[in-house]
Amino acid sequence: MHRKAETKGAAEAQDQSVSTDQAQGAARSDGPPSTGGDLDFEALDLSIETVEERISPSETNVFDK
Amino acid sequence: MISTRTAEFPVLLAFPPQGHWTQPHLAIPSLVAWLRAQGYANVQQMDLSVEAFDHFLSRRYLERARAMVAERLQLGRLQDAASLGLGDARAWRAAVEAAASADALIERVEDAKRLVRGQDAETDGERGFWEPDRYLPAVRTLYHGLRLVSAAHFPSELTPHNFTMRYSNDRSFEVLAATFDEDENPFIAFYRERVLPRIIASKPRVLGLSVLYGSQLVPALTLGRMVKQALPDCHVTAGGGYLAYVGKKVMQAPGVDACLDSIVFHEGEAPLLALCDALRELESAPGVTPSVGSRADLTSVGSLAWYDRRGGGARPTFNTPAHPIKLDDAPAPEFDGLPLDKYFSPRLVVPYDVNRGCYYGECTFCTLPTVIGPGYRTRSAETIARHVLELRDRYATTHFNFITDCMPPGLLEELPKRLIDGEAGITWWADARVEPKAYTPAGTQLLYDSGCRKLLFGFESASKRILKMMMKGQSLKTVAEVAQNCAKADISVTFYAMVGFPTETREEARATLAFLEEHAGTVREVSLQTFHIDEVALTYRDPERFGLKILDDPGADLALYHDYEAESGMTQEEAAEMFEELMASFRRHLPLFAGDNVFYFMQKSHYFLHLAGTPERAPETPDSFEQRLRARMTAKDARSASGALRVRPGLASVPLSFSYKGARDLLAHPLARASRPDFLTGRYVGEAEATAEARLGHLPRTSSVLVYDGDSAEFVELRPDGLAVLRALERAGSLEALARTASPAGRARLEAFAAELHRLGILTTERVGDAPETLRPAPRGAGQSLIHPTFIEPREESHHAPQS
Repeated sequence: MHRKAETKGAAEAQDQSVSTDQAQGAARSDGPPSTGGDLDFEALDLSIETVEERISPSETNVFDK
Repeated sequence: MISTRTAEFPVLLAFPPQGHWTQPHLAIPSLVAWLRAQGYANVQQMDLSVEAFDHFLSRRYLERARAMVAERLQLGRLQDAASLGLGDARAWRAAVEAAASADALIERVEDAKRLVRGQDAETDGERGFWEPDRYLPAVRTLYHGLRLVSAAHFPSELTPHNFTMRYSNDRSFEVLAATFDEDENPFIAFYRERVLPRIIASKPRVLGLSVLYGSQLVPALTLGRMVKQALPDCHVTAGGGYLAYVGKKVMQAPGVDACLDSIVFHEGEAPLLALCDALRELESAPGVTPSVGSRADLTSVGSLAWYDRRGGGARPTFNTPAHPIKLDDAPAPEFDGLPLDKYFSPRLVVPYDVNRGCYYGECTFCTLPTVIGPGYRTRSAETIARHVLELRDRYATTHFNFITDCMPPGLLEELPKRLIDGEAGITWWADARVEPKAYTPAGTQLLYDSGCRKLLFGFESASKRILKMMMKGQSLKTVAEVAQNCAKADISVTFYAMVGFPTETREEARATLAFLEEHAGTVREVSLQTFHIDEVALTYRDPERFGLKILDDPGADLALYHDYEAESGMTQEEAAEMFEELMASFRRHLPLFAGDNVFYFMQKSHYFLHLAGTPERAPETPDSFEQRLRARMTAKDARSASGALRVRPGLASVPLSFSYKGARDLLAHPLARASRPDFLTGRYVGEAEATAEARLGHLPRTSSVLVYDGDSAEFVELRPDGLAVLRALERAGSLEALARTASPAGRARLEAFAAELHRLGILTTERVGDAPETLRPAPRGAGQSLIHPTFIEPREESHHAPQS
């Protein structure tokens, strides 16, 4: 049962990978690659959220697990 | 007593997952040595915890995990939701992290393991372990790898420090259900594929499981059940610190008899030997069937609880306590047979118990002496020094972790002298109690000369009132003096601290924080925990004395820890919030806690190894190591918007329908954390999930992007505009080329954006192939975008109104 589920999962993952590549290809076929000239940097939302360590120091204790 | 114990009676002792992965745990090697010394020639040992980490953190398993995540979490469905409640937010976060990072992790995990183990090069000069900029991404890769493994078994979570499931350790029916859950218990398949065949082949007559932590309970019972099914004539016993607390309840819980035959309480040497003797004697009797191991009369074995199966059924039977052994007679632990090359450390750090129990034993919050007991016993300095030399030569290592609650003043003087006189040439670290007469300037220098490089003191609080209630028997003045004397001798000082002791106020907790901030530079690390009440503690047995009302949960038949209401001071929730406040300060004030440097604190002996040095590498002082970490952070912060900046190869991006940071903040809230099993106690609060959802609300939709860089092992969240700029930068080839297309104001914004991404490692000035890569970059096809979307694009209508 487990093996079957894994096989199915792998196939789905592969399908997703293909579809995203296709989407990317379609975007590229819209025209010659832009070097950024069509981007208005003043208007863009360039906010960045850093992910400071997702590992919390609280995950340690005197027992040193 | 049986005089000859031959190989005809094989015994297997195993350490089930999960325990820390940097060094062996001591209990089983001690028992192995004891049984062998008593004549049992065929005693084998397994560290299934480190084996499991090694198995899960492999290319093959992560590929399997990636497929399981896609099958089980269905990211597309979660992305389409109108909003996310707590449960879905957890699943969504796990799924998007997996989508962004799985390919890079699969590509890098084996290299990361080699680097952390020091197996990436022939000499320390070349080994990445010693360079923070190579070590930290490798450690992060391993942590993220376990996130992927956890996502595959969602909502279970396996980290180097813990293992929790949706099931509560407090309830036996949940614990037993967990042992059957093929989807969420990753150890069932691990045992079946990697462990059980070996156990069956060795045909042990006794299997002993060491259960020190709550995180091991389900994995231990899972293994016990599987072994009992496969080998009905093998007697499965268990012992260890956690079972010393809850073993009686475990034995009385319906259904556990399918997983275990007995439990050993407290010190294991004498009971385990008596158990083996009793079973062997019974087997040697004429006419006895092989299944005697599970049907024997074990009344004579001290400190044993066992199921009396004679006459059908399984009746829990509790024997009288055994006498403890004379510790000085116990042999040195034996680590032979453990996978010493699999520990996540470049050098073997040998644990060795100098004593057992606590010579002080007065602290009102501490119950360790009770469960480690009975009583306080120590080895002589002569024995310790002799064993250290034996272990040093036998395992070709000079690094030791002395396992002790605290070393008495006399030993603190005599042991260093013996180690120095014996030219042991070792380095060591240990827990300690503040003893002003021992940790004088001369005393700490002697300790350093004997190899002491790090001591961990029970500081707990800077409030005199709280210290008095705790009966710590130490003053702030002496604490500061002892720490300063250690620091002057270049011994690194770690303080254990506690927040939320009964009646403690916020002001008192902040006074503790102020003291720790004041002594940053003397104190290098703080191991902080919130106060918990366990059933052995004085606070549980005499709650009125501390102004407490204990809250019982009648359904929790395995309960060890209890919620409580305090007459004054912080509530449990307020203490959890104060914990976060203190931790945030440590992140600002302690170099070892800043940013990802915190991994040095979390990897047990890794920081110690820098202080210890190796034959090829000079030792560092706590000061020099902190300076190195500070310089690293400063250099990172100083990264600017160089015109040569380009996109780092191998980035992966996932379009998001919700804010990753929003989900992270939501799930990090103390209320949300209360609905998951607590890290320390393994329990969770009933109905906490509903309470948290009602108070915290749902996560609203937004449009965002999660970017993962496999080389730096960093996640960064951008807006879709930010991703568009990254793609434009990639096409332009350099920041300078892209900036030429911008207005002056636009250029300034672009450069600020690029500078921040440079600091985060997403942009680099290095050309592909030029950099001394810490880990191999993910291969990408020619002409393919280096920023590859790994999952689905966000929906067009991505701005839903938040659900109330």
